[in-house]
Amino acid sequence: MNALDLTAATVPDRLAGVSLALAPGTLAGLVGPNGSGKSTLLQVAAGVLSGAGDVAWGGRPLAAIPALERGRLAAWVPQEAHFEFGFTVAAVVAQGRFAHGDDGRGVAEALARFDLTALAERPVNRLSGGERQRVLLARALATGAPLQLWDEPFAALDPRHALEGLKLAGELARGGQTVLFSLHDLRVAHCLDVVIVLHEGGLCAAGPPDEVLTAELLRDVFGVRARNAPGLILELP
Amino acid sequence: MSAPPAALSTRAVRAALPVAVLLLGALVLVSLAVGGFPPARIWAGLWQHDELGANVLWNLRLPRLLVAMLVGAALSASGLVMQAFFRNNLASPDLLGVASGGAAGAVIAIGAGWASASLLVLPVCAVLGSLMATGAVLLLARRGTGTERLLLAGVALNALLGAVTSYVLSNSAISYEANARVIFWLLGGLEDRTWEHVEMIAPVLVAAALLWPLGRPMDLLSLGAAEAQSLGVEVRTLRRRMLALATVMTALTTAVAGSVGFVGLVVPHLLRLLVGPEHRRLVPLALVGGAVFVLGCDLLARIAGITHVGIVTSLVGGPFFLWLLRRQR
Repeated sequence: MNALDLTAATVPDRLAGVSLALAPGTLAGLVGPNGSGKSTLLQVAAGVLSGAGDVAWGGRPLAAIPALERGRLAAWVPQEAHFEFGFTVAAVVAQGRFAHGDDGRGVAEALARFDLTALAERPVNRLSGGERQRVLLARALATGAPLQLWDEPFAALDPRHALEGLKLAGELARGGQTVLFSLHDLRVAHCLDVVIVLHEGGLCAAGPPDEVLTAELLRDVFGVRARNAPGLILELP
Repeated sequence: MSAPPAALSTRAVRAALPVAVLLLGALVLVSLAVGGFPPARIWAGLWQHDELGANVLWNLRLPRLLVAMLVGAALSASGLVMQAFFRNNLASPDLLGVASGGAAGAVIAIGAGWASASLLVLPVCAVLGSLMATGAVLLLARRGTGTERLLLAGVALNALLGAVTSYVLSNSAISYEANARVIFWLLGGLEDRTWEHVEMIAPVLVAAALLWPLGRPMDLLSLGAAEAQSLGVEVRTLRRRMLALATVMTALTTAVAGSVGFVGLVVPHLLRLLVGPEHRRLVPLALVGGAVFVLGCDLLARIAGITHVGIVTSLVGGPFFLWLLRRQR
């Protein structure tokens, strides 16, 4: 049984009949040039944007899953959030437990995991962009949902938090959760199980990073030339 | 537009509702006692020892007090709901034109002479007018709910509905008496409210009871509709309910008291500054706080000899709101 199935997912002018399947425990990256449909695909997969075609989570059609249960089965992290009201960081992360009857389980751990414990009582509308991003990720983590859909989760993060986020995504996948996230930094693609390449709203390639990210694809889709060269490598101590 | 960290300590926040209820109780007692009639005779009237006192208490002061409280609770709760719905601190029934819609509906009902047919006609027409205004705001503000777009939609609607009202007033086909009634009603106020008006606005209590359980999902919605949906909120149903409740509550207040400005903006805003943005706390507090605010303003109006409570709510609310805005920077 697949964790996520998309069948001919279509959104006019944005996504043209994308089909893909992810097995449970997969760490998958979604890449593609700007405007290639990454965010749209994630929104359709998360059920927050309806389009033509079918979406299924764990083999169950999305249409047959009630709203509350969806909150337990999948978590979606938007590319950016603006918070109009001054909820505390802890309160926003605790919203991840809404579908679990607000039991508050795992909230403290999620805060700690994203270095937010010290900020727990700060209002979210007073945070920096990177801090807001971490709050959204912590909320998604707190849901404990088996399917995690993150839209450019690391774009606003500093190098250390980005690396830790990536490490966490890997741990979740090893633990059986399925993580699909979009990214622009192709240099981290090598630590993914699967890379999915979108181009002009269509699926261009999907598979292990070494097989997918060939020199031809990088040239044709991204318009860049790949070259191995000594450079700055960043990793967690 | 951002609220600073909760201005009150956790303990004070927890005490906010009991304090508001006590304040309301005190205001009720003062409102019943204060006036051109000796309080001792009102007291005697309570026990039916003084016929005139009983009449003043039961037929003049009590209905007025109940209408004031219900109008305040309804407007404040409507404002709270609209702010969560549009994710915007500045949304409120008066700024968005929903109150004007109710006013236009009621003015048409009075001007055309329908209102005298039945007690139900006026509130029904007000609700229809408000619903049309709400629908128009939704259409105009559909693409995103940026402050600018939302407020521009409100400005346009207020102008349009004001023109409708003026047209009814200027129409020579309307009798002098109907015209006078329209003007009296338009200025709003709680003067001479009777038990009929209490009955007219009583459904607000039902709306408040329906609103009560929506507090928690409103928290999630106020941070984004798509996010709320992904977290398990039935967003479409929730939004429909919120809008219907806010619209009906606003319309009923215009049906009994004309337009009473600034309540829906100021009260929820102040409460959010004091106790933070959690709606489970804000819904009951907005209901009680709105009642306190309008009852207090009506008391001021009676003491100062101002006939229309809307004048006082705006005179108090306007500067207060400006002060809040300045303090936030």
